[in-house]
This record gives sequence, C-alpha cells and structure tokens, in this order.
Amino acid sequence: MSGGGTASSRGMRLLSKAGPFLICLAIWQAITMLGITDPAFLPGLGSIWAAFRDLAVEKTLWIDLATSLMTAGLGLLFGILIGVPLGAAMALSPRADGFFGPIVKATYSLPKSALVPLFVLWFGVGGLTNILATVLTTLLPIVIYTYHGVHGVPRLFLWSAAAFGTPRWKLLTRIILPAALPAIFTGIRIALGFAFIVTIAAEMIVSNHGIGKLMFFFGDSGSYNYMFAAVITIVVAAYLADRAFVILTDYVLRWQEPAERHA
Amino acid sequence: MRKPMAAIASRAWRGVRAIYPLLLLLAAWELVARAGLVRPLFLPPVSVVLERLFVTAADGELWPPLLTSLYRSAAGLVLAAVVGVPIGFLAVRNRFVAWFVDPLVAFGSPAPKLALIPVFTLWFGIDNLSKIMLVALTTVFPFMLSAAAGARTVALNQIWAARAMGSSETTLLWRIVLRAALPSLMSGLRVAVPTALLTTFTAEMVAGGGLGGALILAQRYFESATVYAYLLVMLICGYLFDVELLRLRRRVLRWYEG
Repeated sequence: MSGGGTASSRGMRLLSKAGPFLICLAIWQAITMLGITDPAFLPGLGSIWAAFRDLAVEKTLWIDLATSLMTAGLGLLFGILIGVPLGAAMALSPRADGFFGPIVKATYSLPKSALVPLFVLWFGVGGLTNILATVLTTLLPIVIYTYHGVHGVPRLFLWSAAAFGTPRWKLLTRIILPAALPAIFTGIRIALGFAFIVTIAAEMIVSNHGIGKLMFFFGDSGSYNYMFAAVITIVVAAYLADRAFVILTDYVLRWQEPAERHA
Repeated sequence: MRKPMAAIASRAWRGVRAIYPLLLLLAAWELVARAGLVRPLFLPPVSVVLERLFVTAADGELWPPLLTSLYRSAAGLVLAAVVGVPIGFLAVRNRFVAWFVDPLVAFGSPAPKLALIPVFTLWFGIDNLSKIMLVALTTVFPFMLSAAAGARTVALNQIWAARAMGSSETTLLWRIVLRAALPSLMSGLRVAVPTALLTTFTAEMVAGGGLGGALILAQRYFESATVYAYLLVMLICGYLFDVELLRLRRRVLRWYEG
C-alpha cells in the first residue's frame, strides 16, 4: 500500500485479488448446477445463501456468533494479560526463566483442545471451560514472542537510558515494552488465529452454544446448507478479525520502519 | 574413580535443575490429590495416572488408537508436503500461479480450518480419510509458505550458473531450489507437525476414532485416570516429535548455520 494510488487502480487491485475467489466460487456453482455431485453433499451457493438469510433473520446465528466471539475475545484478552508480563519476566529474570521455561516447553506441544474434556469435568459444559481452553492456547505464543521481543531489546538502549538516570520501572514502560511491541503484536496475531480454532473446537466437542455447536448440530441433523452457512460465517469472522488486527498493528506501530514489519 | 562419579553427579544435578519445576508440579499434584483436597474424579493422583498409563500400554489398549492417530497425522502431512511444496516453489517462479495462490493462502492460512470437521465428515466419511484430508488442509499452508520463503532465498546467479552448465528445469528444482529451501522447509515442518497432531486429535474428539475418540469415551465413563493418561501420551508425542525434528534439522542442515 504505497501511497494509496488512484481510485480506479485500487479497484483493479481489489478485483485482481478477488479473482481467484471468484473462480473457485464459479467452479463450485458449476459443479452443483451440472449435478456432478449429490446436492446434499455440496449444496448450491443459492441454497447456502438462503440458509444464511434464514439464520440471520431468526437471530440464532448472531447469538451463537456473539458467544463464539466473546469466548475467543476473552480468551485472547486473558492470554495477553497473563502472557505479556510472564514472557517479559522470563526474559528479564533468569530465575523466572528457569522456573517457567521447562513448563512452557513441556506444554507447548500439547494440543490444548484435548484439555476440553478435562475442563468439562471441573467447570461444566461451555462458558468457563471454553474460555480457559482458549486462554491456555493463546498464552503460549504470546509468552514466547514477548520473551524473544524483550530479549532482543538492544542493550545500548538500556545503557543509555540508565546513564540518563531513568528509574527501573520507567525503563520497563518507556524502553523495553515499546521496543518489544512489534514482536508482541506478532505473537498476538498468531494467538488470535489460535483463539478462533480452539473456541470452535471446544464448541464442537461439548457445548450448548456458539457457532461450533451450530455447525455440529446442522451437520448431525443433515441440514448441510445451514451447516455450510455457519462454517462460512465463522471463517469470514476470523478473517475480518485478522484484518482488523493487522490494521491496528499498522496504526500502533506506525513509527516503525515498514520494512521491519510483518517479518 | 572419584572424578567420573563427581562428573556424573554434576550432570544429574544439572538435569534435575533443568526440569525441577515439572517435578515440583507433579509433587504438588500428588500431594493435593492424596490429601483429598479435590475429588479423585477431578484429579486422580499422579501415581494412579502413571499406573493407568503403564497398564494400558502393557495390555495393548493404548496402541491401536495411538497408531491410528499417528497414521492419520503422518498420511495428512505427506499429502500436504507433496501438494504444498511444489505449489510454494511454483508461486515464486510463475506469475500466474502467484496471482491465483497468494490471495487464497492469505485467506486460508489464518482461517480456522477445524470448522470444516463436519464438512469433511460429510464428504469423506467418519473414518481415516476425513481426518487425513483435514490434516492435509491444515498443514498445506505452512508447507506452501515455507517452500515459497525458501525458494526466494535461492541466489539468482546460482540459477544462472546451473542453466549455463546445461541443467534441466527438473534438475534445477531438485538440486538447487529444494536444497536452498531446506532450512525454511524444516522450519515449516516444525510448525506443521504439531498442527497435524492438534488437527487429528481434535477431529477424533468430535467425530470419533483414534486417541482423541478414546479420550472422549474415557471421559464419558468418568474414567479420569485414563483421561489424564491419554493426555500425557498426547503431550509426550508432541514433545518427542519436536525433539526429534530438532535433531533431524541439525543433521540435515549440518552445512547450514555452521
């Protein structure tokens, strides 16, 4: 996005980017219209759109979408609130690193959605269970990226600030956190993707609400056009959330050299 | 005689120090459970969980679902690599492929693909194929992205030199591009393998079969010790694969990073 360009050239770019999607949709529509596959297995785009409108009018879609977004959002929020201080502490204190490092390493490879059946025993179906599973999933990438970000702060910055008599806590808020912010944002973006994945997985495994539950319900009862409508809704919602976060990142980090971003 | 003993002791001490937080956690878990602070249904003692783990391993109950899950993950990974790596290379060398693939990857890579579990169950049945295809879909993106990133690192003059010496396009691809992309591909593999395990276990928890399905069954019958034992197995699987991948990376890339 260098400089913006004229309206028509921007429109052309958008069209060029949308091209592959339009081709895929056209192929989908052609397959269903030619009757190559069973319409139950691959519902036509028109029937999915009708199902979507039906769900949207009945409001169930919005309530379930709000549930899913709230779970993912709260999970990410607590992941940030716990993960950033934890990652920074691990980078700044060898003792904290020695304690939390092995725990992070040991739990990193565990598929966190597998904890859902366990949490159900403790906290019951839905609600807290799903939020906790999401917090645990979003925590790890945020911890790791914060750790590397804080570790990567040039010593020179710290020395010169200290030489000017900056108090310790100001060193943290004025030097370390701003310098580590790009890495932290990268971690949060990865965590955002994870948040959607685990929220939906948890809702599909056991839940009474949410888009995951909705998809599973329609799939089980054979209303496949409704199932596709729900799947597409959550995929688009996740995409919009990711784009919104990229825009936020670009705004917050506007002081940074563009070349260093999204590295 | 004293010196080797001291060396062994110091190495053991270092080993304990490296994992002492985990040992502490396990001890706390055992104590809390033994003291009866929580119901055994919620948190059986570690010793009971480990005993359960050894029993399921010894009487063979653990192996069939574990092997099923590993087979599904591996088959999906192979499929994703076979499809994703060539597309990643082509996207760097061919403008039309780049035009078509780039927006789809930008959209598909962060998309929560586990949402497609019901769709894939519908298309490919509830057995192996639906899980394998889903693993392939979730892991094809790291393969494509890392292949493309790797292919971009090939120095142009290397390609020119190879062409000048009469290499064919295929030799060029296998001998130069693939080799130059290897470090990047290894990083992609390190993302793809845990993703494959996550996808397999989650799909199995939703649609049955494998270790994920066995975990859900144990939970339904309130066999908490088995639930924890299977969780431990999943954790160990992920950890071992990561350690082995790092070892493989060091061996394959001896020439890289010194």
